[in-house]
Amino acid sequence: MVLRKSKQVSLADAVGRVGDGARIALGGFSVYQRPMAFVRELIRQNRRDLTVVGVVNGPEVDMLAGSNALKCVESSYVGLEKFGLAPNFRRRVQEGKLEMVDYPELMSWDRFRASEQAQTFLPVSFLGGSDVVQRNPKIKEFDCPLTGRRLWAVPPADPEIAIIHAIMGDEYGNVLVPRRRLLPQSLDITLARSCDRIIVTVERIVSNDEVRRQAELNQVPSYRVECIAEAPWGAHPCPVLGISRIDESAFEEYVRAAKTDESFAKYLDATVHGLSDHDAYLENLGVARLAALQTTGVGT
Amino acid sequence: MTAACSLPERLAVLLAKEFSDGEVGFTGLGTGRAAAVYITGIPLAAMALAQRTHAPSLTVLLAGWSHNPDLSQLHGLPELEFDERLRDLPCEAQSIDYPGHFVLKRGDISFGFSSGVQVDSQGNLNGVCVGDPSRPDVRLVGPILHPEHMTLFGREYIMMPHHEVRNFVEKVDYVSGVGYPGGLAGRAELGLHSGGPALVITPKCIFNFDREIGRMTVRSIHASVSEAALRSATGFELGDLSEVPPTPEPTEEDLHLLRNVVDPRGHLLPDLDQEG
Repeated sequence: MVLRKSKQVSLADAVGRVGDGARIALGGFSVYQRPMAFVRELIRQNRRDLTVVGVVNGPEVDMLAGSNALKCVESSYVGLEKFGLAPNFRRRVQEGKLEMVDYPELMSWDRFRASEQAQTFLPVSFLGGSDVVQRNPKIKEFDCPLTGRRLWAVPPADPEIAIIHAIMGDEYGNVLVPRRRLLPQSLDITLARSCDRIIVTVERIVSNDEVRRQAELNQVPSYRVECIAEAPWGAHPCPVLGISRIDESAFEEYVRAAKTDESFAKYLDATVHGLSDHDAYLENLGVARLAALQTTGVGT
Repeated sequence: MTAACSLPERLAVLLAKEFSDGEVGFTGLGTGRAAAVYITGIPLAAMALAQRTHAPSLTVLLAGWSHNPDLSQLHGLPELEFDERLRDLPCEAQSIDYPGHFVLKRGDISFGFSSGVQVDSQGNLNGVCVGDPSRPDVRLVGPILHPEHMTLFGREYIMMPHHEVRNFVEKVDYVSGVGYPGGLAGRAELGLHSGGPALVITPKCIFNFDREIGRMTVRSIHASVSEAALRSATGFELGDLSEVPPTPEPTEEDLHLLRNVVDPRGHLLPDLDQEG
């Protein structure tokens, strides 16, 4: 009998599939459910010249900016919500070392929807007078061929690879999203339909039988997924809806560390370069700290 | 006769009177204590007050997705947009996609609230940077939903927690939300046939707009703010202020509703001056 192919890989192998200069989308929204274990491994592997295309970005972009892994960001927001501005991102843009292309927030979602529909541009009506247009030569004004209405053609998001972090999936790459989901999880689904290379990290690899028992939660079927890696607490310090709360003290520590290149280098040594992998990162945090962040732990 | 009241209370009562029955009001969350009160606390209290005085069918959209949440069950100003606490706050409907329930591009949102580092005399809003955008002196978060707020929403209330020369400028360094360049005719030329800022709310005054010429004008000045203080805190010419009335004080009844029904725990409208 021929066996169904497993797509399960190690986190390091999954990250190895993202090359220097890649154009990527990183799952989650703002400070919620970011694939942070994946991001730390990108930094550990010393990736360079990445472009991140997103909607509302946060700590994942700021860490990559502080590690000099980024060439360009396309988004409506890079910040840390209640924890304030994104210090590394801010410094790199002010130094002229990181290109930022500003897009409106809803339009940023629609850019991924345009990619899902394999469109070559997104028609937008409301950009008149905005510096989003003035400062972006890739956005072109045109007249609607049917009505003559003034419109702007906006490039689709077109990530080469989308990386999302989900609660669970099986070794074949089926990915479950909780029934009581919110916008960050819905955006993950949109990202996973916006390109042809999807990499998924999950809190837990479960059996195919378990996926079948909750098939209605499977929003990213196996044939969409290139590979899947297990990364428990893989969004820390970000929350995972239904699993874990945000680690506020870790965010506060991060913001302090990211204030200068010198203090951030020390932070990276302590949380990334000085640790061999994600397991070592979790061990370093300790069971008591992680247990205190746990919510229901069920996820769905 | 009016009771002594805090500035956030006064602003909430004033805003409540701007809303009509059946409208849909959109709030997001702000960064920092003062911004959170201006962007989230005051708008929520104003909408809840309007629901109890003259607009029972007003719909409150909290964080852009929770419809008519039970604000009495809040344990503080909401700080996290998409965590389990907000997910579990009782409400009428939860949008789980974006925009999801409300049909933004067909005009479902009647009004919203936004803020930025700079606003200029035409009502343009900037949340992107200070200085030359290609090499900014200060890089901020980005345009977020400003472009949509200032065009696709029916009208916008710009909430500025700080009123200093650096915030109120003749011309913003980056237009993330478009005001009235060239007035209403100028907006029409830009393809914008609705929307735009209605008021600008600050700790010193209330601005409205001469929408024909496209310029911000002072509608009222808050008690205890002198004309000279207002001028010296504003980076553009304010014109003749001699006829400008003081910002109205709330009635006893409005204050009673705010303090006992809308915000009995004082989460939405903390007295920022008392907090220091």
